[in-house]
Amino acid sequence: MKALEIHNLVKIFKTKKGQSVHALNDLSFDVMQGEVFGFLGPNGAGKSTTIKTLVGLITPSSGNALINGVPVSTGTARLKVGYLPENPAFYDYLTPEEYLTYVARSFLVPVAEVPRCIEQTLKLLELWDARKRQMRSFSKGMVQRVGLAQVLVHDPDIYILDEPMSGLDPLGRSLVKNIILELKNRGKTVFFSTHITDDVEKVCDRVGIIVKGSLVAVNNVENLLKGGVEGYLVSLQSADSTLQNLAPFSVLRQSGTIFEYYIPKDGFNRFMELVIRSGSEVVLVETRRKNLEDYFLSLVK
Amino acid sequence: MLNHFEITFKSIIRDRIFHGIIFSALIFLLIPSVATLSMRQATELSMTLSLSLISFILLLLSLFLGGTHLWRDIERRYTYPVLSWPSSRSAYLVGKFSGIAAFIFLVALLLGGVAVLTVLITAGIYPPERPIVWNLFFLSIFFDACKYILIVAFAFLFSSVATSFFLPVFGSICIYFVGNASQQVHDYINAPATIGISSITKNMATFVYYILPNFSAFDFKINAVYRVPIQVSGVLMTGVYFVVYLCMVISVATLLFEKREMN
Ligand SMILES: Nc1ncnc2c1ncn2[C@@H]1O[C@H](COP(=O)(O)OP(=O)(O)OP(=O)(O)O)[C@@H](O)[C@H]1O
Ligand SMILES: [Mg+2]
Repeated sequence: MKALEIHNLVKIFKTKKGQSVHALNDLSFDVMQGEVFGFLGPNGAGKSTTIKTLVGLITPSSGNALINGVPVSTGTARLKVGYLPENPAFYDYLTPEEYLTYVARSFLVPVAEVPRCIEQTLKLLELWDARKRQMRSFSKGMVQRVGLAQVLVHDPDIYILDEPMSGLDPLGRSLVKNIILELKNRGKTVFFSTHITDDVEKVCDRVGIIVKGSLVAVNNVENLLKGGVEGYLVSLQSADSTLQNLAPFSVLRQSGTIFEYYIPKDGFNRFMELVIRSGSEVVLVETRRKNLEDYFLSLVK
Repeated sequence: MLNHFEITFKSIIRDRIFHGIIFSALIFLLIPSVATLSMRQATELSMTLSLSLISFILLLLSLFLGGTHLWRDIERRYTYPVLSWPSSRSAYLVGKFSGIAAFIFLVALLLGGVAVLTVLITAGIYPPERPIVWNLFFLSIFFDACKYILIVAFAFLFSSVATSFFLPVFGSICIYFVGNASQQVHDYINAPATIGISSITKNMATFVYYILPNFSAFDFKINAVYRVPIQVSGVLMTGVYFVVYLCMVISVATLLFEKREMN
C-alpha cells in the first residue's frame, strides 16, 4: 500500500515583480506504508514546497498528490497525518498544554484520552516542566519540541516532517532519531526532509534526492551503503624489515611499530597474501566506504 | 469550529492592546459628573455620552480585533500547522470570526451594564422629566454592536487576501466612513431638489448604495435618548439586513481564503 503518492507535481511561484520561479518540475514518487523515507536536497531545492503541497497549504500548478489514495485537496485526507512545518510557530500566548489540547480536539481524539496523550507526549519531549508556561518565552529548540509534540499527540499513521531535527541539541537529535525508529517499529509511515545525510543513514529505509525541483535519485539506503565500499584501512604490527615484502603498497601512517595502510577494494586480497607471507600481525581492519554524503554531493554537482 | 472559537477567545483576553482598550472604559466614571454640570437634560446627555463612548470603544475593538487577528495568524505562520489539520479553512475562518463577534457582544453587554449604572446615577441626581425607556437603550447598544461586527466581517474579508495589515485595518476604517455616509449620499442624490445629475449616474449610485453597507440603519441612538418609539417592522428589517449582509461578506471571505496559498 502506498501512503503518499506524488504524481507529476509542478509548482510555479509568481513573485510580486512578475517573475516566475519553477520550484517543482514534474516531481513524482511514492512513499510506502510503514516506510521511513528521507527527503534530501540542498537549500531551495523544493523540499518544503513539496511538503506544503502534501498537506494542502499550497495548490500545485499541475499534477496531484494523494494521501492513502485520497487527494490532498480533501481535508479529511489529513485526519491521520501529522505535519511539522519548517521553523514552526505556535500561538505564543498559549501554553503547550493548551495548544496540544487544541490539536488533539481538532483531530477528534476522544475527550477522555486527551489528558493522557498530552502527558505522554510532553514527557517524551521533555516539556512536562514547561507545560504551564506561555510559549512566548520558549527557546528555539523548545518550540521545535512543541512542534514534534503536536505531531505525536494525536497518534497519526503518517508523519510529514519538514526538517524535524533543526534547532535541536545533540540530545534532542538523538531523541528524534529514536522516536522515528520507534514509529517505524509501530508500523507508521515517516516522510521527512533534511540536509543532514547522517540522519538519513541512521533512520531511513529509502532516500529521495531532490535538486532544483526534480528528483534525481530514489534509493534504498542499505544498498547504497553496502554498494559504497571503496577500500580498507589496515593496521599492522611488524618490524621494519618485513615491510619490504609489502613494497607495492605504501605506508599511510606510522606510530611506533604500528603501520597503517590504505588498500583499495580490488587490491585487498593481494595485500593480505603479502601480509601473511611477511609474518606481520593484523591489528585492525576498517572498511572505508563512500558514504551518503559523498553520494549526495556527487549527485548535486 | 468550536475549537477555533475558543482559542480566539483566549487570545483576545490575553492581548495587551485589548487590556488597553478596556481600560479606556474607565472614562465612564467621568460621565455623571460631566452630565450633571449641564443641569438641563442631564439624563439625556448622560445617555448620549454613554452610547457614544460604547460606540467608540466597540469601534476600536472591531478595528483592532478584526484587522489584526486573522492577518497576524497568517503573518506569524500560526496557520501552517492549523490549516493542515482536517477541519476546513472555512471552519477556521468562521470559528475565529464568531469568537470575535461573540466577544464584541459580550463587551457591549458589559459596557451596557456600566452605562445603565451611569445613567441611573445621573438620573438620581437630576431626575428626568420623562421616564427612561430601557428597551430602546439596549436595542440601540445591540444594533451598534451588530454594526461593528459587520466591520469585523469586512476586516476578515480584507485579511483573507491581504499580505500586510494595511488593507485590513485601513480598509475597514474606510468601510466605517463609507457605511456611515452612504445613506446621506443616497438621499441627496435621490432628493427631488437635486438637479443636474444624469439618470445613469443615479442608477450607478443606487447600485453602489445596495452593495456598500448602510450603517445608518443600525443607528437607534436618537430613539434611545429621546424615547422615540421604533416600529417592530423597522427592527426586523435591520435584523434581517444584518444577517443577510453578514453572511454575504463572510461567504466571500471564506471563498477567497479557501483559494489562498499559504507561503
Ligand atoms: N512564495 C514563494 N514565492 C516565490 N518563490 C518561492 C516561494 N516559496 C518558495 N519559493 C522558491 O521555491 C524554491 C523551493 O523552495 P523550498 O522552500 O521548497 O526549498 P527547500 O528545499 O525547502 O529549501 P531549504 O532547504 O532552504 O528549506 C526556492 O527557489 C524558493 O525561492
Ligand atoms: Mg525547506
